Amino acid sequence: MIIDLNVNGEPKHLQARSGDRLVDVLRDELSLSSLLPDCLSGKCGRCFIFMDGRLVLSCLVPAFKAKGSTIQSYEAFKDMPDVKEIILAMEKAEALPCAFCRTGKIMAILDLLGRSPLPEEKEILKQLDMVACSCTDPVSLVKAVGMAAEMRNKRKFNRADK
Amino acid sequence: MRISEPYYPTSTAEILTLIRANPEIQILAGGTEIVGSQTTRALEFPAQVASIAKVQELRKTIRTEQFIELGCCTTLTGLLSLTPGTLPDPLPEIIDSIANHAIRNVATIGGNLCCRSRFMDLWPYLACMDAQVELKTPSGTRWASVSHLCGEEGKPSFPRMALLSRVRIPLYSYNFIFHRKLGLGQFPGRETASFVCIANIERGKIEDFRLAFAGVQAFRLKDREMSIAGKKTSSASKEVQAIIDDYMSAFESQDWFDRRLFLSLLEEAFERLFS
Repeated sequence: MIIDLNVNGEPKHLQARSGDRLVDVLRDELSLSSLLPDCLSGKCGRCFIFMDGRLVLSCLVPAFKAKGSTIQSYEAFKDMPDVKEIILAMEKAEALPCAFCRTGKIMAILDLLGRSPLPEEKEILKQLDMVACSCTDPVSLVKAVGMAAEMRNKRKFNRADK
Repeated sequence: MRISEPYYPTSTAEILTLIRANPEIQILAGGTEIVGSQTTRALEFPAQVASIAKVQELRKTIRTEQFIELGCCTTLTGLLSLTPGTLPDPLPEIIDSIANHAIRNVATIGGNLCCRSRFMDLWPYLACMDAQVELKTPSGTRWASVSHLCGEEGKPSFPRMALLSRVRIPLYSYNFIFHRKLGLGQFPGRETASFVCIANIERGKIEDFRLAFAGVQAFRLKDREMSIAGKKTSSASKEVQAIIDDYMSAFESQDWFDRRLFLSLLEEAFERLFS
């Protein structure tokens, strides 16, 4: 079947089989290498995408269900200031994730900061809990998210208060 | 069996036409329950599937002073994003305990209630609240209590050829709330269950009492609930123990969950209620 959707700002017509998962179609047809179909059960957090503006695990979405949707993967954000700030904050807080979970954690933080400009520690930990990798010290990660939030707020609202 | 071509109905009328033509059609809103239970690369679906997540009329929310009415395709995140105070307690807490944020972005209230293999987290609370569901079939529409989604043997029972289109939740608040979720993991298993006990206490007297426990099966004793209503919260411990014993003997006859865990929840709830 052909699935019409918009991926990272471009209209696409993807060929998919009825039982395909969205993560496989996006990776195989469009070479979106940030998506890694690993656990196929929504546990590892390596296949986050924004679907119609909401963070979802693309391994849990049947490809046919994405028809008419707007999809954004990490590739759409990687050159944006939001992501650059998150990476910078991770470097400063010495909380750089491993290659296994890097994009998953960045996407999770991106989603959190979009919903909650000044997230609390509990919120941050809950959000990062969606990515099953213990490579990074949670305390440093919380610090990194706080720093990223400050940078983002300073840029967007010209303030950095908390 | 692999599906052929999924259907994308755009209205309730179209969904009902599909149901009439294919009584065994799988209606898919979020699809998290069906997909989450499969770990093979290729997903398996029934022969006919209809994706209804984008049917606008099934995403509407209506609020009156007495109730909130939600379209079945309202996502759990959508529910949580309603203005704080809109949903009665402990509904936001229950929703927040379901899976994780990314799954709640896709999972819907309708899907949570329509699961055929078990009761999901919302059922016990909505049953206690006497929430109603709108069931549309090719031959008509009717409203039924959420409790009717439970069969006589305490197992899920969903009417054939029906679409659960709306959920109506009364906005009545109870002043005693006890809710616990058992089990870990994003998707429920045999060890997962939800316990809800709500009551209204006025001047030391229990005016209204509801208790439901659900997992792979559901457990609720409406006649016992009626007998607890009217009791004083200062009732003698002997009397409270008799109620617990009553509940336990009925629960043990079902034998679908660890009785010790259920007993500890029951004791904790009653200890708080009768204190």
